[in-house]
Amino acid sequence: MSQNRTVGDLKIDIFDYPHIPYWFTLKQATGIIRKSMIESEKCFHPLAILVFDEKYNLMGTLELKNILKGLEPKFLSPSTKAQGYTDSAESLSSVWDSLFSEKSKALAERPVIEVMNPIKGQVSSDSPVTKAAYLMVHQDVMILPVIDNQKIVGIIRMKEVFEEIAKAILNE
Amino acid sequence: MEQIDRGNPQKLYIQVFEILRKKIEGGEWPVESQIPIEEELCRIYNVSKATIRTAILELVRQGYLMRHQGRGTFVCKRIIPEGLTMSTSFREFMLGAGIAFSTQVLAQTVTMPVDDLGIKLDVTEDKHLIYIRRLQIVDGEPVFLQESYIPYYVCPSMLKENVADNSVVELLEKKYEIIITKVKDYIQVVNSREDESKLLNLPKDTPVLLLEQHFYSAETQVMYTRSIKRTDRFRFTMEFEKK
Repeated sequence: MSQNRTVGDLKIDIFDYPHIPYWFTLKQATGIIRKSMIESEKCFHPLAILVFDEKYNLMGTLELKNILKGLEPKFLSPSTKAQGYTDSAESLSSVWDSLFSEKSKALAERPVIEVMNPIKGQVSSDSPVTKAAYLMVHQDVMILPVIDNQKIVGIIRMKEVFEEIAKAILNE
Repeated sequence: MEQIDRGNPQKLYIQVFEILRKKIEGGEWPVESQIPIEEELCRIYNVSKATIRTAILELVRQGYLMRHQGRGTFVCKRIIPEGLTMSTSFREFMLGAGIAFSTQVLAQTVTMPVDDLGIKLDVTEDKHLIYIRRLQIVDGEPVFLQESYIPYYVCPSMLKENVADNSVVELLEKKYEIIITKVKDYIQVVNSREDESKLLNLPKDTPVLLLEQHFYSAETQVMYTRSIKRTDRFRFTMEFEKK
């Protein structure tokens, strides 16, 4: 990267994101994330919640897709052999609609730990921005914790990482 | 002069709030004096007007400052509690005087005001809360379960404090100089919830004493606690003194 910018230059305050303990239910998390959407000044992109343990260690992140997936009845998951969009996926989705009231409202009482993205990789303030981009792509997450000396010091989002890489690609 | 640390992950308005609070508590800004105007504070601390305004509003909320329309912002006299004072300490009330106990910290983390917590703590739903859950054990038996919720901006350091050996109220007052000026208590008998029954070694739906407490410093609520106590082994004593 031309300007040698690091993750530390792009990180944001973790308190810009809601925090919850892992035992919170999907229903509670839904209320919190929806509140973030309604309040435009608190509408952070991507919308996500940070999930912590009893000792305030970051365990994972919860994004909109995690919540939606958590509300989906298990037997509706397409076969792992299925590639892309298939007829069976479409028919399964209509089954979900008919079962929504019965199944998904019960699933909303699941704890968020069952559906969150567990923290698998991390970056530090002096990591290159490309490391953050690599981890985001390969772990399919939109935000990553920034850890210095085993302490969380911020969050880095795909939005800022993309902007930084775009500048380098476009020679800005 | 103390300045903002931009490398500090803490929000700028909280840093400004802390700097200004120290000026008031340290007497640099004496009672009834007028504080500098917002533009001047923006220049001194090199932050936006919105940051200064949020910090000042918080100081007004906590009873440190008072705004007079068209005249400016002034340092307030701190409120001193008067009248009937409960002389029984909280621990004496809930555990009994002189009873030895140990404390197990089950959680010391951060959460958001879900369900009716925002209303109980009088905070908006986007405010982070420090959540502390402790179990007190007497003679090897769990007797008392307490959950405390403190708005993060009131005392961020409480997240790292040793709350196994220290009372949260004492830490707030003695270490952080957040003086509790009023406590509202609500006591009732309720049936224990499933998680509470497990922790207190009680059958499900056992009647327990629920004490809800709202702690105020001046006009700001600084903590809400929900305490559950077994009722099978103790009687309760409260003593009041007129000041």
